[in-house]
Amino acid sequence: MMSLLGDYTSSKLSVFPKSASSFSGESDWVFHFISIVCVIFFIPIAVALFGFAWKYRKAKGQPADSQVDHNTTLELVWSIGPSFLLVVMFYFGARGFLDMRSIPEGAYNVGVDAYKWGWGMNYGNGVIHPELHVVAGEPTKLTMTSKDVIHSLYIPSFRVKKDIVPGRYNYIWFKAMEPSEKVMTDEECKQLADKDKEDNLSWDYDARQCTPDGYNFYDLYCAEYCGTNHSEMQTVVVVHETQEELDAWIKKYSSRGDEPPAAYGAKLYERRGCKSCHSIDGSRLVGPSYKGSYGTMRNIVGGDQVKVDENYIRESILNPKAKVAIEQGVAYQPVMPSYKGQLSEDDIYSLIEFIKSLGDPSATEPEAPADAEPVSVE
Amino acid sequence: MATTDAGLASDAHEQPGHGHSDHGHGDHDHPSYLAHHFDTPEQQFDSGKLGMWLFLVTEVLFFSGMFCAYAIFRAWRPEVFEGCSQFLNTKLGAINTGVLLFSSFTMAWGVRCAQKEQHKLLTVMLATTLSCATVFLGVKAIEYSHKWHLGLLPAGLFSYDPSNPHPVGGPNYLAYICAPFVAITIGVAIWLVVSFLRGAKFQLECAKPLLVVCLCFFVGVGLGTILESGGEEGHHEDDHAVVASTDGTAAEHGKEHAHADGDQHVDHEEPAAAAVASLPAAGAMSNDSADLAVLERLASDATNTGLQDELAARKAQSERSGGGILYDVSDDASATVASAPENVLRPSRAGVFFSIYYCMTGIHAIHILAGIGVLVWLLVRSIRMDFNRNYFGPVDYVGLYWHIVDMIWIYLFPLMYLIR
Amino acid sequence: MSAGSVPSGYEVNDPGYPTPQENYLTNSKGILSWAFTLDHKRIGMMYLIGVTSAFLLGGLLALGIRLHLFAPDGILFNNALFQWLAPDKAPNDIYNQVFTLHGAIMVFLFIIPSVPAALGNFLVPVMLGAKDVAFPRLNLSSFYLWVGGALFFVMALLASGLDTGWTFYTPYSTTTDSSVILATTGAFVLGFSSIFTGLNFIVTINTMRPPGMTWFRMPLFLWATYSTSIIQVLATPVLGITLLLLIAERTLHIGIFDPEYNGDPVTFQHFFWFYSHPAVYIMILPAFGIISELISVHSHKRIFGYRFIAYSSIAIALLSFIVWGHHMFTSGMSPITTIIFSALTFTVSVPSAIKVFNWVATMFKGSISLTTPMVYAIAFIFLFTIGGLTGLHLGTLATDMHLHDTYFVVAHFHYVMVGGTVVAFLGGVFHWWPKMVGKMYSEAGGLLSAALVFIGFNLTFLPQFILGSRGMPRRYATYDPEFAPLHQMSTYGALILGVGLFVALFVLLMSLVNGKKAPANPWGGATLEWNCTSPPPFYNFERPPVVGDPYEFGDIRWDTELDRYVKVEPQRERVPSETPAETPAHASE
Repeated sequence: MMSLLGDYTSSKLSVFPKSASSFSGESDWVFHFISIVCVIFFIPIAVALFGFAWKYRKAKGQPADSQVDHNTTLELVWSIGPSFLLVVMFYFGARGFLDMRSIPEGAYNVGVDAYKWGWGMNYGNGVIHPELHVVAGEPTKLTMTSKDVIHSLYIPSFRVKKDIVPGRYNYIWFKAMEPSEKVMTDEECKQLADKDKEDNLSWDYDARQCTPDGYNFYDLYCAEYCGTNHSEMQTVVVVHETQEELDAWIKKYSSRGDEPPAAYGAKLYERRGCKSCHSIDGSRLVGPSYKGSYGTMRNIVGGDQVKVDENYIRESILNPKAKVAIEQGVAYQPVMPSYKGQLSEDDIYSLIEFIKSLGDPSATEPEAPADAEPVSVE
Repeated sequence: MATTDAGLASDAHEQPGHGHSDHGHGDHDHPSYLAHHFDTPEQQFDSGKLGMWLFLVTEVLFFSGMFCAYAIFRAWRPEVFEGCSQFLNTKLGAINTGVLLFSSFTMAWGVRCAQKEQHKLLTVMLATTLSCATVFLGVKAIEYSHKWHLGLLPAGLFSYDPSNPHPVGGPNYLAYICAPFVAITIGVAIWLVVSFLRGAKFQLECAKPLLVVCLCFFVGVGLGTILESGGEEGHHEDDHAVVASTDGTAAEHGKEHAHADGDQHVDHEEPAAAAVASLPAAGAMSNDSADLAVLERLASDATNTGLQDELAARKAQSERSGGGILYDVSDDASATVASAPENVLRPSRAGVFFSIYYCMTGIHAIHILAGIGVLVWLLVRSIRMDFNRNYFGPVDYVGLYWHIVDMIWIYLFPLMYLIR
Repeated sequence: MSAGSVPSGYEVNDPGYPTPQENYLTNSKGILSWAFTLDHKRIGMMYLIGVTSAFLLGGLLALGIRLHLFAPDGILFNNALFQWLAPDKAPNDIYNQVFTLHGAIMVFLFIIPSVPAALGNFLVPVMLGAKDVAFPRLNLSSFYLWVGGALFFVMALLASGLDTGWTFYTPYSTTTDSSVILATTGAFVLGFSSIFTGLNFIVTINTMRPPGMTWFRMPLFLWATYSTSIIQVLATPVLGITLLLLIAERTLHIGIFDPEYNGDPVTFQHFFWFYSHPAVYIMILPAFGIISELISVHSHKRIFGYRFIAYSSIAIALLSFIVWGHHMFTSGMSPITTIIFSALTFTVSVPSAIKVFNWVATMFKGSISLTTPMVYAIAFIFLFTIGGLTGLHLGTLATDMHLHDTYFVVAHFHYVMVGGTVVAFLGGVFHWWPKMVGKMYSEAGGLLSAALVFIGFNLTFLPQFILGSRGMPRRYATYDPEFAPLHQMSTYGALILGVGLFVALFVLLMSLVNGKKAPANPWGGATLEWNCTSPPPFYNFERPPVVGDPYEFGDIRWDTELDRYVKVEPQRERVPSETPAETPAHASE
């Protein structure tokens, strides 16, 4: 029975996404068990409902054939009988749930930082990347925090979900079973990435169905409503076959290496969530655009002006609420989380170089007078 | 057939011209107090009483939400609750408890008067109940304004600074609270005079007890001021001392300062702070004469519970925060807000206690105000002699409401004031 | 007489038609006679107009949601029209505000007051045989509180919208810059409206039953209303304090719910669901009551298992208070709490199942007229059963981890709330419409609306079950292209559903223009409301009605000459001298 269902759930006709973790088999089995029980109850009810409605249809004024108003035995049977099935459902549900809540010792630990609207997966040693990379067959534990509002980490293929509540640590664990395949060679990936760079686009996961490293992936969603771009707070899970492969991947992202700082800053911009709020084409998003900002004078909340230089950018990364920018008379919402401890000095340096590389002071427009809103200083 | 509107007033309107009379007992032929849709006064009374009880159930559940919040946060941070509770003046709380208990008693007596048709006594009882309510509010005004002045506010606005607990300047909160009451009192007084001059007897009868009730608010304010007075006077001298002394710290504040520092440097400041706390006068000897005078006053004033309590509270707080509330969790089963390490040392922790304090006592005070409103309505009706042995429902229902408001205070008092 | 002539010693009791002086709609005139009316029937009609307006507004917003989701990147709120209407708002923001207002308006302004306040106000005293509710002025004030709450929502909509989701989860609701305070004030005011209505009904049913109306002779609609009222009175105050604390959190930063000030967002969820889960039963229990009436009357057969249905209503009301945690299985509650909530959740399914079985059994060997209300009732049972059964998937912990906050949940509660409550509400309106306005509607039109609603509804929400189990999270303004075909099906369904609802509205409104006069008892019902004229006179009953079994159809006969149902009563009970039944209720329990 179970294997049969297993075959079914991996087919195209399935009502489920691919079954790819140690939980998904059991979760799907319970789902189908409940569904079958429901169908067994539902079909007779529906047949009786429509059958009676048709069969006992009568002209006005015809008395009913029976006026039986109760049958205690029958009613007790249909009240108590199904309850046993409920106990079975509850038991399997609770058993599966307890598995999900008992985190095994020695699970591979990844930190998850959820923010509006993106993910930072912390692999230690300052390697933070939006993609979640894990090893097949090994338990992985995610330690999750949020700095702004409630988010929820949801990987449909793994059948797991957990809210990420600010002010708490929430944990989730799973054992991925199906490794991702490398569907694109590094050269192809590089070509595509270069092309993106020319077109000023970011990597399109959905269209290409693979990551910039060439792996196919599982979707990871935010499942708790968190504001404007809630539906874009998605990332991917890549399952590596071996720990070595994962380590190699982490190493690739562990530091700048000999890359020029501005290029590395561009990667950080993509990877660390800057791009969800700051554009590089001059358009106004949640935060000010980077384009042409370096070296300009900027109005800040409180009525002052400040020059966008290394110090200002550094302060804005580490203590975003200290000087909140005003553009065209409208102050930005002070919603950016602090990146203190999240970015190394070299990272910040790279980001500043990246912003400098976008800088063209002549392109900026004149700014409107400042608003008189109070400064929110921490 | 009666028109819609005429047919439905339930209290004081006669219902003539029902095409169909469907009342039973011949002895109550729909008297003026019986609403058209009820058959008998008993049915009307029972309906009203059941309705009132249900309303009280909703009131209890309304407050139970806040009691739950209280329980949750106290369970998480017992030390904050114990520490902050000491900022509350137990004497004022106890006086208010007594006042409310007495008002419950007069209210119950009033219900009995209504049943026995003792109209004069009923008016006296209702007026006494009302006076107690305004005394309660007067005392509360002192408590609130004092705390606002110190900056003991809800978490987000909490600005209490142990090193400068009595900030100079700031708005005169007491005046703001009293202003509407002053206006009402003046209004009632004018009404009294006018109705006396115009010979409006009924209005005069109403205005007399109401003026007493209004004046009782200021009795409450006065009572509160006397009990907080040591503190209040001390503050004034302190303010003077702050200006006078070169280091900007008065003697009294000197010891508080030690505690404030204790928040950050508990290890070496704490013993000194403890010594100062136990021997306030001795600790102040080294300071200049202005401070000495202040401290002598303070030491000699046994009624100054507010300041003493503050001192003890600050000591308790610094001990706790120095001891560290930070604890990490490995299993999410026990994860609570308290486990987020970055939040632990924020000053707003203490604010949660005051948040709950203001929410609970504030909403209770709003209930007192609502009670005053309906009691005034009853008072006027009792002067009009509306109630009789068959129709005393409104007095009974308001009595029930008043008792539940008292009951809630009786729970609030120990939960807020007496948890050290 | 078609169904047997009147036996000797019996006589036909037919109240005929009311005169304009008796008719509650016409006995006093002018807008003020409505605005200040204390008549429960007029208040019920005003509620009916109010909740229908709210439903139209909420329904338009729902259509907006469905149209936007026709394409993966959205097609409605990012088109030129909306960019012109709201140039400073991102399409995603508009979508978020639209789904939030859809939820909030539907829950607070429509579903909660729909059956209890609109139909309940009209029916409770009439079914009970009373002249009015116990506190008519409280009743009117509760209507105006509803209006006030609605105005607050409109103000929120016009000020800066609302984008928190109808659940107002902190800390999102404490940090967003939309009009949370206006909306929560509105919900707070509406809460009081709901409390007053519930309180009124409890007292009315307890103390104003006429002689002979024992608890177990009450129509099941009254049992359902009574259970609902218990929930309204016990749960709504907690919502009130929660919303007050939320307002205080936003203005004073009291630090109870906001982690920024050491508060705990999960506490807010507990508080919120402690009300809002029982509120789900405020929404569905009255619908159960309607269906019990509809099935029995249109099958002309005694309701099967009266006591089981009555007790199950009370059981649901009580159990609803201890299952709120199942909205929070993924929030990080301790495992033991989670498991307890799961177990409790399963217990609620038992009384719901009892009702479904009993309704189907009532139809067995009945004399079924497939009238519009009956067709709606059958649609209800079908849809509610699907909604109820899919609740099992969500109550089971292992599967809920996957399904929570996906479209599966959306489909589940729409099957219960729309397929259940709204369909039952429509069935109830069609059933009692002749009684309310004294006009018959077009039967063909009614049946057409029922068919369109049924087809449209299933087409809208069945695909959403699959969307959910395939992993589509809810409240997404954009989605992965793989989900597009199912979303498109759903959008087509929503359009059909919308047409069906407009047909229903049109049919009912047309009946006012050209409907024929309704007899006192158009369906052959045995409950007391069918004893008075349609529409009822101002005082409901000329004389206190003789209370019988609400489901005894033996003395209801079809009279071919009069072309309507009449009641056949023993003559001796009409002898004027013998009037024990006219002794007024002492109701001093």
